[in-house]
Amino acid sequence: MAVSGFEGFEKRLELHFSGDDPIRVSNLGLRLLEFESVDDVLHAVQCTVVSAVGNRYFDAYVLSESSLFVYPTKIIIKTCGTTQLLKSIRPLLYYANLMGFYLSDCKYTRGSFIFPQSQPFPHTSFEDEVFYIENCLPSRLSHRKASFMPSKKSSSQSHAWHVFTASDDHHHHGHPLSSMDSLSPASSSYTVEVCMTELDRTTAQKFFRRPGDRKSGDAAGREMTENTGIRGINPNAFICDFAFDPCGYSMNGMHGEKYSTVHVTPEEGYSYASFECVGSLAHDRDDFVEVLKKVVQVFRPGNMSVAISCALTAGDDVWTRVINGLEPLGLKCRSCAVDDFPAAGTILFQTFTSRRK
Amino acid sequence: MAEEGQVISCHTVEAWEEQLQKGNESKKLMVIDFTASWCGPCRFIAPFLSELAKKLPHVTFLKVDVDELKSVAADWAVEAMPTFMFVKEGNIVDKVVGAKKDELQQTVTKHMAAA
Repeated sequence: MAVSGFEGFEKRLELHFSGDDPIRVSNLGLRLLEFESVDDVLHAVQCTVVSAVGNRYFDAYVLSESSLFVYPTKIIIKTCGTTQLLKSIRPLLYYANLMGFYLSDCKYTRGSFIFPQSQPFPHTSFEDEVFYIENCLPSRLSHRKASFMPSKKSSSQSHAWHVFTASDDHHHHGHPLSSMDSLSPASSSYTVEVCMTELDRTTAQKFFRRPGDRKSGDAAGREMTENTGIRGINPNAFICDFAFDPCGYSMNGMHGEKYSTVHVTPEEGYSYASFECVGSLAHDRDDFVEVLKKVVQVFRPGNMSVAISCALTAGDDVWTRVINGLEPLGLKCRSCAVDDFPAAGTILFQTFTSRRK
Repeated sequence: MAEEGQVISCHTVEAWEEQLQKGNESKKLMVIDFTASWCGPCRFIAPFLSELAKKLPHVTFLKVDVDELKSVAADWAVEAMPTFMFVKEGNIVDKVVGAKKDELQQTVTKHMAAA
């Protein structure tokens, strides 16, 4: 393990908004944010837009340090390195309020940093992060919970999972929200966040630029998507990819309303890759495990954690399916943890290590 | 002359067809930006596109809003935005999907140079 290096583990923030004007809310909502406002938010976080694409459902931005997704009533921002992600909350709320939107749900998640001492405030500890977020949120979001979900201490590299959620009362009033656009227990939608370390070296090498190639980062990214098999994870998705110099890779996938995203830090000693996507347990319960298997086959990690966010009842047999799906690929489940969050559903957190170790 | 160095917006099917015809006859490279008012990435790249148009007056830059010209967007199978189509003498020679500055620049240079 290197003494210090680039921090691949991301911090992730998901914000849901409600608006007074039903027409605006259901159609374009936050997608109408001026780009200057988006730029302002990203400036607070210390990252910039590398490339971007949009379809009828959402906009996806590849950032210098990960990704941003803008839906009509939902924003997801995921950043790595030493970015101060939580500093995006105040400007985002400000610009959303100007448009007549107010925050209804907030979810913050992250794994365990490889180099925790390198993180700036408020990412210096989970306690600091929770304290900081709570101060940014309107008191209306009264249903709050912070949870530290550990894995077994005996494993050589224990990824823990950190979660903070806050919601207002609207779930209790039974407002109908679209199945894709909701954290409420009534929907069958899920979000899966996969974190992988100790990547297979042959795979990791594919994420280094060839010296002297005169390709653009966009073209080199496309090549990496093909050569590594990432293209095959969801063949139906439109992929916006980018290869960083001298190494590193990011991609956002768009498939209808669903996003997916992959980020890779390939350097030996602190190699890391993440995969995240959304889906519906009602529609693609089987596909979901197949996707996880493809991800493992691409990265062949030494360690992997899988965090699934879904409705209480929908998660019933998900964790067994994941274990059964990954076992034949040589990944042994080391820990399973479950926690429930008020108005935000259930989070299942599992860690795996490769048998080759 | 006033149109050179600028991105020309086509608001009607007639204007669009006129521009296409002009482009095909002039044998200039045409870069068509399919855009939507509700698409953030389109707003992100707009200034860069305007700069490119200013620097390359011998390339024609057109802009088509997919809501204004629904039939044209459908004919050209535009799904993700922005989509940049590269047309020369009536043929589509390339396409860039997404707001990608480097790729856009390199693709324009590539087709501009070809005789």
